[in-house]
Amino acid sequence: MNFLRLISTFIKVNLQMSLAYRSEAVIEVLLDLTWLAWELLSLQIIFSNTVSLGGWGKGELIALLGVLMLVNTFLAMFIWPNTEKFNASIRDGSFDYVLLQPVNSMFLVTFSRITVWRIFDLLVSATLIIVGININGDVIAPLNIFIFILLAISGSLVIYSLWIVLIAFTFWFTKFDNNITILQALTDTGRYPATVYPWWLRVIVTFVIPIALATTIPVQALRGDLSTSQIFIFFGISFISLIIASQVWRVGVKRYSGASS
Amino acid sequence: MFLIFKRMWQVNWAEQWQYRANLFMYVLYWIVQPVIYIAVWTSIANAQGSVKGLSANDFVTYYMAMLIVDQVTSEIVVYNFAHKIQDGTLSGEIIRPIHPILTNALTNNIAFKALTTLVLLPVWVMLWLLYTPIFASTSWVNILLSIPTLIIGFFINFLLSSAIVCVAFWTQRVWALYRLYGIPVALFSGQFVPLQLMPKVIQDISVYLPFQLFKYFPTQLILGKLSGTQILQGYTMDIIWLFIAFVIFRWTWANGIKQFSAVGA
Repeated sequence: MNFLRLISTFIKVNLQMSLAYRSEAVIEVLLDLTWLAWELLSLQIIFSNTVSLGGWGKGELIALLGVLMLVNTFLAMFIWPNTEKFNASIRDGSFDYVLLQPVNSMFLVTFSRITVWRIFDLLVSATLIIVGININGDVIAPLNIFIFILLAISGSLVIYSLWIVLIAFTFWFTKFDNNITILQALTDTGRYPATVYPWWLRVIVTFVIPIALATTIPVQALRGDLSTSQIFIFFGISFISLIIASQVWRVGVKRYSGASS
Repeated sequence: MFLIFKRMWQVNWAEQWQYRANLFMYVLYWIVQPVIYIAVWTSIANAQGSVKGLSANDFVTYYMAMLIVDQVTSEIVVYNFAHKIQDGTLSGEIIRPIHPILTNALTNNIAFKALTTLVLLPVWVMLWLLYTPIFASTSWVNILLSIPTLIIGFFINFLLSSAIVCVAFWTQRVWALYRLYGIPVALFSGQFVPLQLMPKVIQDISVYLPFQLFKYFPTQLILGKLSGTQILQGYTMDIIWLFIAFVIFRWTWANGIKQFSAVGA
């Protein structure tokens, strides 16, 4: 309950902060839409030359684009702004104040910055997913939709865990402020089904920087490609990675010595 | 003048050398996109034999040649210069009797490239071993012919991007503008697919725009896909656009610098 109250306070504060930069938000949204038009055109170009990409149809790729946009929204709402704040707080020592507060530090580091207006992108991505499924004309069982949502969440949690581990490395190597570049570099791989990639890239995006867990895999569940045991393995992975991440964070925080002292 | 550039080079090389640990990250950025495109198009080409006459090997060679072209023609002026206008550090540079962008920012770009090339080369060789592409129609003549266009292409890209950076003299929104600039580049440069796979309208327009001059044209030239007239046409566009880019840059710089009030100074 306490956490929910805090989150709603954070949302309020961040909303007030972003109201100072309204035109920035409008410009960003317009830019996102322009780039989305390009993404759709590029899919059009691919599918004017083929009927399927690794067994996936155009509608499914549009849905996948929607899921990738969902992940990107999640990253842009929480991960990127909080990384910026976290790295700055390590550099100038203001992380001291995070530790002083009577709330879990991992929670504070995750939610203290929220780019609220990105909610608009959620609508766009939901539209893409629905339109994509309809173009494909698949009849999808309600159960698969439910599994799709759960897998998308659990995949995002894996990415989140990886992020916690990456920024926690800063406690060991203070000058590690491009800790998240590797994550940014690989998000693009979520645009196409991981099944078309060569094996080594597939291994990277599934196990090392698990973008595919939050993009390709949930859409595979929609298509009914996954067996029950696979689905449970993916839930397991997300559960275990969260535990590992919070442990790494705990050990890391103990190593923190403050920039000023 | 030579002495100035020599000194600039020493300073900027030393500056970039500090960040060598980040190099792998940058190179990762660059290779992810071509690797994805190679995967997508070879998968399609293999499934149906070819795509509009292009085989799987054509796509691999296209994106791998583009990787090298991009290494030469890309620029980082937005990253290393825009903030100087915004935070006022430019003041220290404009009192010197040399042009801050055409000397300092330029050598910084080149030092950055020189350093990243050291990492890109082994990665490129690795890709070559993985995909074993056959550069059948690439000859030494093509490679020699492509060198001037690569250099001109870099300068066109550098001057156009510098002109965008100069907009920072008027507004804070340079990054938004730079992201917007990415759209015509994506559409007309051939970085996504070889331009002959693009819709006819886009192909027709792209010939007259500068964007293919620093990606598609040098790439196709290296691959030996262009006829004599096409090469001549490309070089003509090169010279025209180099001139236009320089004029645009000169104008934005000359007018922008008058707006400069050195925030924080």
